[in-house]
Amino acid sequence: MDVSNILASHAAKFQSVTVEKETPLDVDTGLLTVTDLTPIDEDSYKSNLEEYLQITARDGIQALVAALYGLPTQPSPDGPLAQLPAPTTQLPRAKPLPKLKPPTKWERFAAAKGIQKRVREKKVWDEERQEWVNRWGKDGKNKEKEEQWIHEVKADAPVDHDPVKAARDARTSRVAKNERQRLQNNARAQTAAGDREERKKDIERTLATTRISTASMGRFDNKLDGEKKLRGVKRKFEAAETSVEQEKQASLAVLSKLDGDVKRARKEKGAGDDVLNVRKAIRNVSKGKGGVALAREANRKGAKSKRGGKR
Amino acid sequence: MRPLTEDESKAVFTKLANYIGKNLIHLIDRKDEPYCFRLHKDRVYYVSESSMRMSISVARPNFVSVGTCFGKFSKSGKFKLHVTALDHIAQYAKYKVWIKSNGEMPFLYGNHVVKAHLGRITEDTPEHQGVVVFSMSDVPLGFGVTARSTVDTRKLDPTAIIVFHQADVGEYLRDEVSS
Repeated sequence: MDVSNILASHAAKFQSVTVEKETPLDVDTGLLTVTDLTPIDEDSYKSNLEEYLQITARDGIQALVAALYGLPTQPSPDGPLAQLPAPTTQLPRAKPLPKLKPPTKWERFAAAKGIQKRVREKKVWDEERQEWVNRWGKDGKNKEKEEQWIHEVKADAPVDHDPVKAARDARTSRVAKNERQRLQNNARAQTAAGDREERKKDIERTLATTRISTASMGRFDNKLDGEKKLRGVKRKFEAAETSVEQEKQASLAVLSKLDGDVKRARKEKGAGDDVLNVRKAIRNVSKGKGGVALAREANRKGAKSKRGGKR
Repeated sequence: MRPLTEDESKAVFTKLANYIGKNLIHLIDRKDEPYCFRLHKDRVYYVSESSMRMSISVARPNFVSVGTCFGKFSKSGKFKLHVTALDHIAQYAKYKVWIKSNGEMPFLYGNHVVKAHLGRITEDTPEHQGVVVFSMSDVPLGFGVTARSTVDTRKLDPTAIIVFHQADVGEYLRDEVSS
């Protein structure tokens, strides 16, 4: 029986499972991504866009599904699950690169001297206990001196010499020194970023504010070592003996400014500045007839006198 | 002793202008001799230039007074005129009040001027205006502030206060420092 005919017709009904492309598809099963690097066929893209996109998408999906079936599977109640490998596509980072920390004083010195950074192991071998112990921290080796049960004391040591306390003080002072250096490094890193003078001024202002921020305005506070006297803004006066002419000008300037204020105030009130009440004076002189009548009368009088002069 | 700052001169001038108005220019810009204002221990002195220059050589703790004391600054920065400024104010006063001889003594004892004692008053004096008080023989006795305007005084009864007392020449005796 020849089934090739049937097979051919069946094959014609379904498209090929294998995808053949000139440039092979780039399948990243880790991200479930397929990248088609084949250049776009312009003719088919322009003639029938929808069909072209569908064919390209089908090819991609076909390649992805085929790749997924090739992965190792794991049985589960919902059916076999494919185990995805790690993604191979490199994604760009979302955030910018972190800024480099400004080097500490030691790091700068080491770089200048060419000293290589050497990481010290956290654990050190303890001969007595025959085990690895912390260099510092819990049961640290650096506390060995102050925790031992017997101490060697020099012959000329003072009577009140406490070797435990001495060892402990030495260690705590080292810790304090380190902390101080850390703070200095932090401050240095900050000043590198901002203006040093501005920072200094800022600190001084803050200090001045804190010093007067007590209930007694800082009057009864304990003085610290090396604390400077708090100084406010000093008033500046002109010299007692200046040019009087200059002083007069300044006074007149103040006066004119004052006058402006007074004038403005008077204007609002609507009264004249002088003692002479002009309105009242006019009424008095014109015998209640008003300013216009007074002017008319004055004109007539002037004309009369002119005529008189001609005669 | 030092010159006044701008704020201080403003305070002094506004107070003076209340009594002498624009005549204040004549105090600053004098024809005869340049005068200036000086501050010493919160007191304002009106000094001629020559005495000011001479007084500079006196140390501040030893320095008592120079020229005419015009008034003093209170601790809150307000300026108060003293009776010592009366001569200069009376000379240029804009508004004046003359009191009858029977009212002189009450005023010189630091009382307000009542209407019964009022002899004359400058016409059109507004309310709350600085005025200089004169005796009927034109002797300046002190200064004060009007309680009412001239027009309003007409309707008042004789015991009503016309001028609020601020300073009078009686202070020379009353407030004398006993030493």
